[in-house]
Amino acid sequence: MNQPGRFATLTVNGRAIAATGDPARRLSDFLREEAGLRGTKSGCDAGDCGACTVIADGAAVCACLMPVGRLAGARVTTVEGLADAPGEAGTLSRLQSAFLRHGAAQCGICTPGMLTAAAALLAKKPRPTEAEAEVALGGVLCRCTGYRKILAAVCDAWREDVPEAPLAPGAAVGARVRRLDGVPKVTGADRFGADEWPEGALLLKAVRSPHFHAGFHFGDISAWKAARPGVAAIFTAADIPGRNRFGVIPAFADQPALAEGTARLRGEAVALVAFEPGAEPDLTDFPVTWQPLPYLLDPAEAEAEGAQLVHQGRPGNHLITGRVRRGDAAAALAASTHVVQGSMETAFVEHAYIEPEAGSAWMEGEVLCIRACTQAPVMDRDETAAILGLPPERVRVLPTAVGGGFGSKLDVSLQPLLGLAVLKTGRPARMVYTRAESMTSTTKRHPARITAQIGCDADGHVTALSFDGLFDTGAYASWGPTVANRVPVHATGPYRTPAVLARARAIHTHGPSGGAFRGFGVPQAALAQETLYDQLADLAGIDRLEFRLRNAFVEGDATATGQVLHGTGIHDCLTALAPHWTRALAEAAAANAAPGHLRRGVGVASCWYGCGNTSLPNPSTIRLGLTPEGTLVLHQGAMDIGQGANTVITQICADALGLPVEAFTLVGPDTFLTPDAGKTSASRQTYVSGRAAQAAGAALRAQILRLAGLNGAASLRLEAAAVVVEGETSHRVDLAALPPNPHGYALMAEETYDPPTAPLDADGQGTPYAVYGYGAQMVELEVDTELGTVRLLKITAAHDLGRVINPTLAEGQTEGGIAQGIGLALMEEYIPGRTENLHDYLIPTIGDVPPIESLLIERADPEGPFGAKGLGEHVLIPTAPAILNAVRHATGVTITRVPLLPHRLRAAILAKGAP
Amino acid sequence: MTPFTFARATSPEDAARLAALEGHRLLGGGTNLVDLMRKGVEHPTTLVDVTALSTEIIETARGGLLIGAATRNTALAAHPLVRTRYPVLSRAILAGASAQIRNMATVAGNILQRSRCAYFNDPAASRCNKRAPGSGCDAREGFNRYHAIIGGSPACISAHPSDMCVALVALDAQVHLLGMTGARTVPLAEFYRLPGDTPQIETVMAPGEIITAIELPPLPVAARSDYRKVRDRASYAFALVSVAACASVQDGVLTELRLAFGGIAPKPWRALHAEQALLGGPVTREAVFAAMDLELAEAAPLAGNAFKLELARRTAVAVLADLTGVTA
Ligand SMILES: Cc1cc2nc3c(=O)[nH]c(=O)nc-3n(C[C@H](O)[C@H](O)[C@H](O)COP(=O)(O)OP(=O)(O)OC[C@H]3O[C@@H](n4cnc5c(N)ncnc54)[C@H](O)[C@@H]3O)c2cc1C
Ligand code: FES
Ligand code: FES
Repeated sequence: MNQPGRFATLTVNGRAIAATGDPARRLSDFLREEAGLRGTKSGCDAGDCGACTVIADGAAVCACLMPVGRLAGARVTTVEGLADAPGEAGTLSRLQSAFLRHGAAQCGICTPGMLTAAAALLAKKPRPTEAEAEVALGGVLCRCTGYRKILAAVCDAWREDVPEAPLAPGAAVGARVRRLDGVPKVTGADRFGADEWPEGALLLKAVRSPHFHAGFHFGDISAWKAARPGVAAIFTAADIPGRNRFGVIPAFADQPALAEGTARLRGEAVALVAFEPGAEPDLTDFPVTWQPLPYLLDPAEAEAEGAQLVHQGRPGNHLITGRVRRGDAAAALAASTHVVQGSMETAFVEHAYIEPEAGSAWMEGEVLCIRACTQAPVMDRDETAAILGLPPERVRVLPTAVGGGFGSKLDVSLQPLLGLAVLKTGRPARMVYTRAESMTSTTKRHPARITAQIGCDADGHVTALSFDGLFDTGAYASWGPTVANRVPVHATGPYRTPAVLARARAIHTHGPSGGAFRGFGVPQAALAQETLYDQLADLAGIDRLEFRLRNAFVEGDATATGQVLHGTGIHDCLTALAPHWTRALAEAAAANAAPGHLRRGVGVASCWYGCGNTSLPNPSTIRLGLTPEGTLVLHQGAMDIGQGANTVITQICADALGLPVEAFTLVGPDTFLTPDAGKTSASRQTYVSGRAAQAAGAALRAQILRLAGLNGAASLRLEAAAVVVEGETSHRVDLAALPPNPHGYALMAEETYDPPTAPLDADGQGTPYAVYGYGAQMVELEVDTELGTVRLLKITAAHDLGRVINPTLAEGQTEGGIAQGIGLALMEEYIPGRTENLHDYLIPTIGDVPPIESLLIERADPEGPFGAKGLGEHVLIPTAPAILNAVRHATGVTITRVPLLPHRLRAAILAKGAP
Repeated sequence: MTPFTFARATSPEDAARLAALEGHRLLGGGTNLVDLMRKGVEHPTTLVDVTALSTEIIETARGGLLIGAATRNTALAAHPLVRTRYPVLSRAILAGASAQIRNMATVAGNILQRSRCAYFNDPAASRCNKRAPGSGCDAREGFNRYHAIIGGSPACISAHPSDMCVALVALDAQVHLLGMTGARTVPLAEFYRLPGDTPQIETVMAPGEIITAIELPPLPVAARSDYRKVRDRASYAFALVSVAACASVQDGVLTELRLAFGGIAPKPWRALHAEQALLGGPVTREAVFAAMDLELAEAAPLAGNAFKLELARRTAVAVLADLTGVTA
């Protein structure tokens, strides 16, 4: 029975460990907290995500559902036990090497689960088929990669790894350089928000509102605390020393770190409890009384006359309207030969990164240090400082590895709470959101209701667009203004549209806050525009791809904002799809020749997307230094959230400088050590931080050449305490002889780049972005018209990157974006209060993503580093509309609402009068 | 999570003895129970490990199979005799959950897994008669897309989540129970109770009874059997509708048929009316539709799940067409 003290001995990675304490403890918790094996991750604690997968007696299992007490005598292998010779460098297993070679780890939070699930399979089946690998990995969710590279790595893991050959100087850009930060991701050594904390840290839990809208007041908090000896402190809004309002756009800051008297959001924090490890109190009896209040969840109701206001001072619950007007759209539509009109409705979409928000904080002298997962370290610093009433220089943000962000980790979440507890108690603190907290309290993709009209002339040239979008921005402003401004600019798609009237308004409700999510509203807009394009092409009697080609922007075309374009690659993307299109249409026609309920369809859709902030400054600064000892240090402040900034920025810098990537030592985005490279959003890092890195590399090179008395063609080589420069003559720049600067560098370059944009006027005319990226995707699928189900067969994605810095990473971004686009189109629908976990909220699994062929197009942009543009958000924009277009091609039904769940598709087929 | 202790039973009888004690519950794979404890839906004080229960699959004298209650779902699906004689069972198991969960889950635990209704699983903010008898049912007016269209009651419309059990009920499986008063056997089809006024009582098990094994009768027709699950994504999503079927056809006429549905009822739903209507006739779309109309005559669908009426009929057509080779 239940013995106190040691109750089980298990062997973990070959080491016997005696388990003590609570036999009911989850194995995942035991491994992380007791055994110090933090490579095993927790994404849900419910069996839904598979991040906690370990191998127990030969079988992959979810450690989060396994009480440690039942493992007496068991042999457990975690990710830390997978290397051929654990702990030593250079002894990765073939599987781990295959993950690196294929780029199968992006953010890396799912990687330990993927690797252990795969290792269990490979032990039985060293050369599995794709189908076998899909079954083995079907229970591990990945939100970054789209699974294709993981599948390839697992099936290829039998092969011995051939290490990368060193690249010639100047050859890094364009090479399939393996992630520079990849090794810790495959060994389990990478440290995410929940993986590191100072000794003696208090744990924090928030008391959260279970209501969409409620007044509340506290009972006797001191008595409650007194009855719970492990509880160290309790904080409410009254304890907040600074301004209890935050928001990514300062003019709209409206969100309290802890609510004051009224909670406007289900999941909003109202109190914070700090407790000693092992003394977690049950918060269900926390002394708070709720008075549920009427709430608004429908934005149309919220903007109606007489609706209650979510925020005083925002009449009609209206946050903002963005508008672009060019020419007379109404007149142009009236004069058009063909006009289509339609609507599109989308749902809340959850980011569903596998790492819930997590971090820790402590004081170092006067300085509050916060180590947490984030996409925006400097914004976190400033917002946390303001809430806590500290000057920004007294807050240091040291980001951890980020287990996925996709926009939601741009907003602060637990940073102010951690800071508050540390400031008030003087003790370090740590906090990890549960999956439910993460899903309820953080932002979502805005649900949109869009109506639009598009016209064209008899030759199929688009004449005009009118577009009206209602975006549910939820309880707090977050990135609502950005969405409202971005959408009208992009509403035409990458197509010449002489007359445009596009409006997007963001309306408050008591739903989750609409925030940033890969694409800032543009994916919703593209769903409306691209599906109408198919209808218009049909009306005009023109092939759908040809129709797009006819209207696609070319060099020198003007956009709806009047901006003249350069580096315009959409035509190239559509052209690259043409042979695939011809093949796919023929194959679909052949398959559909026989009658039956399985109908094939082919669809295409395009995207364009401006990189960087809309008409606002968003500079990046990159510092590059050479120490007197000859170490080359890159202060790389662009948060790598899995997309690969660490690698790509270094590749760019390496070629600008003329030294190999291996020569670089990276210092990450620590606000005390690294200059601000802005936030990781708006597909800006490769372009904006890349440009700064290119400039820094070039500047340092110039300094070195000057010291060597050379200019022009010369090759550099690092030696101990020196740079050797070989030109017409050979020179040795003695670094030890140079006086170090205040940063300790013998030589240093620091460069800033800010995209040249111009403000938009009242009609949205101006230059909102300096660089745009383009793409087009083709979807092939099969619809079971009887059951309403969709099976994706293949996706072909052509994206113009200007210059491909790293093909493996670019394909990885594309595949990951497509997977999210599949989710948007076919399954993801966040219903507040009902889908606050990863089994009621479904994201694509490995079996949901078909083979993807990436066609990487290089139409250089004169602004971009080596011509490069952004890609991160572009890649998910065309997927959903291309799917809907393929469904229409297969079945003839026009879809106006996503996600297209089986019952909705079947209803649409029935409504069209099918049997 | 309520703190609890852990007990190890030395024999099935010992497990049954322990299970009868106040606050004691058997722990199979824990994939459902541990999660329900985290959510505050279940509050056992002692978990009794099922390692004392059999994990064997043995052929019975009659030519059927006796499956130990603690057999892992993965092992059952992979067993050669299951794959050849009862393929529907293998496929149903593989259509459920994920490889990791199947590696952990036991056969008995799968049978006794509890509702996936969002309101049942949300003690903090939802009403549920199954979890808190008499508190009301939020699903009826709420989010009920996954809920039952038949067999529910005003008190509860939750659907049984298991895939495996849909196959088992089609295969006429028997449940072996052991309690303080001895052993008994109950057909799985009679094992579950419909909710009626007491949705908290889900089976005919007496307090303290445990499952020791599942028995499959010899069933030659099961060699031609299949499972089809319609869901929102490719893996580990619960069924909107699923169908298990065993069929044999001679001269274009159905001579034997076992048909069961998942996702539509509070228990795995054996479609006896439909079976009867179809036997002796050809497998045509019209015949299946007519048989399903009969089967679902008592259905009481709601706004969010009415689509299942149609979907169940069509999935049945799809499975039977595949299985009999007749293009319905
Ligand atoms: C992410 C996820 C996805 C899933 N998807 C699916 C799916 O698609 N289809 C599907 O069918 N299922 C699915 N499931 C459910 C899964 O099949 C069940 O959780 C599992 O079968 C339960 O088995 P277990 O042994 O782990 O049960 P446990 O959690 O150990 O126990 C469940 C119940 O059975 C009782 N019990 C166990 N053994 C005995 C015994 N011998 N006698 C008496 N009582 C006993 C326990 O006390 C408990 O009340 C999913 C589960 C998860 C976590
Ligand atoms: S943490 Fe175990 S499955 Fe998600
Ligand atoms: S790499 Fe899989 S979740 Fe990020």
